Amino acid sequence: MPARPVIKRSPRVTFLGRAIAGNLGALIVGVKYFIDPNRITLLYPHEYIKLRQGYRGYIVLKMDLCISCSSCARICPARAMKMLPVQVKDKKTGRIMKKKYPVINYNRCIFCGYCVDVCPTEALYHVPYHDIVYFNMADMILTLEDIQKEPEFITAKEGVPVKYVYDEKRGLVKVAAEEEGKPPQQTEKSKEGETA
Amino acid sequence: MSGIQVLSDIGWGILHYIIFYPPVYQYVIIPGFAAALIIVIFIIWFERKAAARVQMRYGPLEISPRTGGATQLIADLLRYTVQEIIVPATADFLPFILAPNIAVVLALLPMVAVPMTSISEYWPIPMGYSLLIAVALSTLSPIFIVMLSWASNNKFAVVGGLRESFVIVAYELIAVISLLAATPMTGTFNMVTIVNDQLSGRWLGLLNPIALLTAFIAVLMSTSGFPFEIPDSESELVAGPYTEYSGLMYGLNMGAAYIRRWAFSVLISLVFLGGWAPYRPTPGLVTGYLVPSLIVTVKAIIVMAIMSFLRAVYGRYRLDQALSLAWEVMIPLTLAAFGISLAEAYFGVVP
Amino acid sequence: MSSQTGVQGSEVPRLPGMVVRPVERRVYEVQIGPAHPGSGHMRIFVEVDGDVMTRVDPDIGFVHRTMEKLAEGRDWIKNIPLFERMAILDACNITLPYVEAVERLLDLDPPERAKYLRVLLCEINRIASHLYGFGIFGVFLGHSTLYMWAFGDREVFVQLAEDLTGARLTHSYPVFGGVRRDIPDDFPQNARKATRYMRGRLDEYARIFLNNPNIRSRLEGVGVLSKNRAAELGVVGPNARASGIKYDVRLVEPYEAYDRLDFEIPIFEEGDALARAWQRVEEIKQSLNIIEQVVDWLEKHPREGFMHDKFWKTAPKLYRDVYEGKIDYAGKYRVKLMPLFATLKVPAGKASARVEAGRGEMFYYVESDGKDVPYRVRVVSPSFRNVIAFKYVMPGHRLMDLPAIYGSFDYFPPEWDR
Repeated sequence: MPARPVIKRSPRVTFLGRAIAGNLGALIVGVKYFIDPNRITLLYPHEYIKLRQGYRGYIVLKMDLCISCSSCARICPARAMKMLPVQVKDKKTGRIMKKKYPVINYNRCIFCGYCVDVCPTEALYHVPYHDIVYFNMADMILTLEDIQKEPEFITAKEGVPVKYVYDEKRGLVKVAAEEEGKPPQQTEKSKEGETA
Repeated sequence: MSGIQVLSDIGWGILHYIIFYPPVYQYVIIPGFAAALIIVIFIIWFERKAAARVQMRYGPLEISPRTGGATQLIADLLRYTVQEIIVPATADFLPFILAPNIAVVLALLPMVAVPMTSISEYWPIPMGYSLLIAVALSTLSPIFIVMLSWASNNKFAVVGGLRESFVIVAYELIAVISLLAATPMTGTFNMVTIVNDQLSGRWLGLLNPIALLTAFIAVLMSTSGFPFEIPDSESELVAGPYTEYSGLMYGLNMGAAYIRRWAFSVLISLVFLGGWAPYRPTPGLVTGYLVPSLIVTVKAIIVMAIMSFLRAVYGRYRLDQALSLAWEVMIPLTLAAFGISLAEAYFGVVP
Repeated sequence: MSSQTGVQGSEVPRLPGMVVRPVERRVYEVQIGPAHPGSGHMRIFVEVDGDVMTRVDPDIGFVHRTMEKLAEGRDWIKNIPLFERMAILDACNITLPYVEAVERLLDLDPPERAKYLRVLLCEINRIASHLYGFGIFGVFLGHSTLYMWAFGDREVFVQLAEDLTGARLTHSYPVFGGVRRDIPDDFPQNARKATRYMRGRLDEYARIFLNNPNIRSRLEGVGVLSKNRAAELGVVGPNARASGIKYDVRLVEPYEAYDRLDFEIPIFEEGDALARAWQRVEEIKQSLNIIEQVVDWLEKHPREGFMHDKFWKTAPKLYRDVYEGKIDYAGKYRVKLMPLFATLKVPAGKASARVEAGRGEMFYYVESDGKDVPYRVRVVSPSFRNVIAFKYVMPGHRLMDLPAIYGSFDYFPPEWDR
């Protein structure tokens, strides 16, 4: 069933019909929404949207699953992911070896999610929030310890979580989201006391 | 002669000869500067809130969430007060600075010519031809907007001023004839008689709705109300004739349009909507002067609120379409309204 | 370049690199500049005689980001997020021809479910792009209510796209061989609610904007582009279809799953700005139909065939676990990419593909010489073809018609400037 082109005409009305019915129609729609408004504004930061699992937010590394294959650094389109060589003690043979682990430069990251999707051992994952603030650009280049911790989500401490549900008459309706319990990894404050 | 008596005499003097002295009261307090500024502040807030209700958002809410952001405009005014006023070197200095001020001062001048009560000792000027005088004084202020756009020496400002001058010529005739359509039905130019005749419950707006409609549309055209917001059409000409102004002068210009709208709204509510009816003033300062002026204020606020609501429904007319609407549709309609007044006076359908 | 325009007959000093153009005495030159609330990121030189425009010259190139040259230095898969940022509104429509062209070079045909998923996101993006065009159109005409409504209703569809792909605007959804995610479990009912809501809203748009006598008088008979003229200038997309040309890539050369879906292509014949506005409204209605059919199909068929077997057959068990959501921190229905993608070597050859994006026909030409970076990618975007219409349609109209015509053509400067 391919597409079919159909010729249509824009509606034609007479002058008087246009003047009276058109104005009345527009005014009635205006008054209807004046009396019963349908507001969808999010009063950020007093409220924030609790995004679902699967949102492409900040990236966290699970170091014990990483096999140092460097696929994430190779596929990053913005060259934000780099491999850092560190001396670690290999568990199986007990020797000190040099292995490579990824670090991220958030100045460049475009949150495309290619690194998370390409990792063969699922060592990277997204956290479902994106509004982190840094004080200077040097802080946005994360070290190996910082990338293993989930960034501190300040908005969750001060704001009320909401969610938007779909509705047939009003489009999106704001409802309060229920708290789901603790996130999988406890957040720790970094030693310097600045947000990371 | 004790101290208390002296103080009470002084107080009585201040009250009767300074504050409630009719020319001062009507030009400075109600419906003059004080009332105009406070009402303009809250009408702009109402306009933003009304537009926001229709447009799926909240409008101003952050400044004082519990009152719905009502003090937002006061915050804006404070910001304009401390902002630096930059006068471009290429602009003509004296007209640039003086024209907005003169425009605001002249915009409120009709308020001295209208009565706020029916008691004769509270009239600012003799009321014999007050309708004619008030309508004539209301035509003084628009020319200064053209002057300020010309003094700005900026292409966008000049095009904006040009458009404003076209619109001024078009709307004035409509406004004057619509407001004077009250004369055949009551047989006098005396506004006190016009309002007193409406105390019987038959307002002139009900007897001649076409005149009310054309007066309303003329006021929209003169004060850049949607759908006629042509001079300061923001998405086409940056800010129209007011492009080069900053700081307090910008605030003054934005308020000037609303102050003119306020002056016209008071005229409309006195002529068509019954003035201080159904209240009958009795002699005395409060019941004779303050209360009727407050009733007129409330009616004028309702008229301005309806004009503000139209922002959410209409777009902007093209200049030649607005002018052809004025010259080809509204002037015959206005003359028809005047004719209806004459017919109603002939057949005795008078308030 | 400083153009010193002098009055006829006067002496003007000429410096190297200077262009001198005499302007007549009656004519007034207005520049609607790049930092103007009435234009996009482009500059328009307008010469006005009284109130009538006599010469309109669009000056484009302010958002040039050298995307075609940047693409030559990046691997094949890294170019997908690059090209997406050309017109981020319909991200899937912009990257889809690139992916299709490379798939032709790789000699792959994506499986059925992948095609339907791509069509789903393409139509969601098309609706979002048309609503954005409406919003800007409303602002230009001073009608702020339409602006807020268009962006507020667009939020519904951006939210649907976020449920599907994980990001609101920068989807990067099609990859070589298939797509990156499958639909979540509650997606079909949400999509149906969204389509029902939007149909009701389109009636209200018609009442407050298109049938509003104020706006109607500004649009009717303004910017008429006749059928011959449109064919001569080469405009594409809804602008051409509103002038009576029956051309749509989905009709002429169906791609993905479009030849199995049942929808109409509206054609208007008047060619004025009102017809272009109605054309977009009708296209939104047809896109809603398509979304409902696609969601029905996706619900009925089993969840397999989202990625080509060449890349999925040798996948370890972990990949299938992630897809089914067995790993708790990893989300559900995510298609993992093979590490092969990072160093994909595409066989040498030339391929081209075209797609109907929101604003018209999008065309890509890809040439490879066997390495892991492309040799040449050439992009022809729809706004590139539409901008010439400004020069020939606008003269003869009044200055206040410029925003109406500009908004009705739905021109998006970053898309042309690449």
